[in-house]
Order: sequence, then structure tokens, then C-alpha cells
Amino acid sequence: MHRIEVDAEMDLLEENRRLAEKNRELLRKKNVVAINVMGAIGSGKTLLIEKTVESLKGYRVGAILGDVIAKDDYERVAKHGVKAMPLNTGKECHLDAHLVHHALEDFDLDGIDVLFIENVGNLICPVDFDLGENYRVVMVSVTEGDDVVGKHPEIFRLADVIIINKVALADAVDANVDKMVEDAKRLNPKAKVIKMDLKKGIGFDEWMEWLRCVLQSREG
Amino acid sequence: MSLDFVHEMSFASAILDAVMKVARENNAKRVKSVHVVIGNLLMLNPEQLKFCYDVVTKGTIAENSKLEIEVVKAKIECTNCGKVFDEYVGICDECGGILKVEGGKEMFLKKVEMEV
Repeated sequence: MHRIEVDAEMDLLEENRRLAEKNRELLRKKNVVAINVMGAIGSGKTLLIEKTVESLKGYRVGAILGDVIAKDDYERVAKHGVKAMPLNTGKECHLDAHLVHHALEDFDLDGIDVLFIENVGNLICPVDFDLGENYRVVMVSVTEGDDVVGKHPEIFRLADVIIINKVALADAVDANVDKMVEDAKRLNPKAKVIKMDLKKGIGFDEWMEWLRCVLQSREG
Repeated sequence: MSLDFVHEMSFASAILDAVMKVARENNAKRVKSVHVVIGNLLMLNPEQLKFCYDVVTKGTIAENSKLEIEVVKAKIECTNCGKVFDEYVGICDECGGILKVEGGKEMFLKKVEMEV
């Protein structure tokens, strides 16, 4: 027996990248805009999808609801009468392109204009896993503390839309919304930053305007 | 909290898959050490990655092999004044320009030391 040392030079992220591109290509062929909805636990991701489903007239919505276990989010969205699918990771703290690839094999994309993929709730693990989405939406709420944006630069750097939810509760939890917005704009000057309170209807129109704009540009 | 409930586990599994491929190609009897390169902007904690690597390699020919992690830094500089940064801070503190980020997201298996 003797020892050898082999130069491998193997890209360890290649597999996720390859599957993400495959997903993106499938979605493009079906003319579906895919939105990866990321964010903290309890920040309002599922409610955003529910309200969007109800308000987005003229477009057909699909949703894949990622969670570690349980199908609560799926049930909440499915009751609005849209194509929806639960996607349990088992133990993983994020969705990856492989999981989404399998989900898309079973998901009927025909007749869908926009597909929301709700990621597992947290601001760290999902960051490095491209799912094949067209846009990333990152949602946090004031109840997580007004330093939550500044503490998680990477997820916000790579976002297309940053939503700061529950702004009506800011005083009650002593959160400075302006600081959160400034942090978001500093970390990502190109992103659309929306102050929102879904339950009070604040900022929702702005979100819908962005979404309609994205969907219209797809058709153009 | 379950042990698997850290995303380092996914990365550790990816390392193991690649290592086993190299080991098979070389008819290795044991894997002694593994050298990986990771970008500093990946959401990876090297200590947790090592811990997860030890867990996933149990019962394989890579059990007890040493995982060496080399961290490479992203190139972060201001698009306006060219100031170079160690960490991503978003806006340049000198001139208010937007920062450009290159790299920092790579991860590859560089070397595998084996007994054959």
C-alpha cells in the first residue's frame, strides 16, 4: 500500500447549477416567471402569496410551498383555488435545485403565468442554492428587529425585491423602519425595497405593480 | 435541533460524493486527506463543515480523513473610486459608489490524498 495525492479540481457546486439551469430552461419554455420567495420565519411569505393569488387578476398563479415538514403553507395557498404543491425537505433548511427539479416534474406548468416557490424560512441556508428562478424576493418583518437586514448582507445583496413587512407594528416593537430601508438600499442599491404591512394593506399595491410589470415584460 | 438541520450537511455530502468518485477512479483503499477551496461569500462555517464532513464520512473509506479548507476571498471594489474592501458593505464609505463583487461563491475539490 502506498500513498498518492491526486489533483481533482472538481467543481462541487456544479450539480446544483446544472439542475437550476435545467429548471430555468423548462420554465422559460413554458413561459412561466418563477419567483423564489425567501425570508425569515413568520415574516409573511405565505400571506404575501395568498394575497397575491387573490389580487392578480388576468394571470394564473402556481405555487410550490417549501417547508421542512408539515403542509400548512400548502393548505393555506391551495384553498384559494390555484395549482399548488407542498415540498417538504425532510430535514434540510433550504430548497435546492434538485428538489425543485423533482417538484417541477410533477407540477403541471401549462396555463401558469407565474410560479411562486416559497423557500424554507431563514435568511442564511437558502442563499447559495439557485433554484432556477427568475427573481428573488426576500421578506423580513420589523418584529425580527431592525438590525435583521444589516446582519444578513448576502441574502439582501442577491435579492431583486426586498420587502420589510409589518411596518404598522414598528412602534410596538421599537423598530426603526427607516434604518431597515437604509440597510437594504445600502446592501443592494438595485433592488426594489418595499415597506409593507400585509394585514393593513400598506405597500401591497407597490408589490403588485412590480409583479405586473415583470409579467408584462415577459409578454413583451 | 436535528444534526442534519444545518445546510453545511448538503455541502459535506457534495464533498463526499466527489471524493468517493476520485477514490474509485484510483482504486483507493483509504482516503487520508481532502483539500477543498471555498469562497468567503458562501454561507458556510468551516468548523461546521468539518463536523458535518466527519459525520457523512463515517462508515466509508474516507472515515477519519482530514478535511483541509482553504478560504479564498471575493474581490470587492468600488466601481467609482476603486477602493478595495475585505467585506461586502454595499456602498463605498469613501465616495458613496456602488461596490462590485467578483468571486467568493466558488467551491471545489482541489486535492485528495489516498492510500492505494
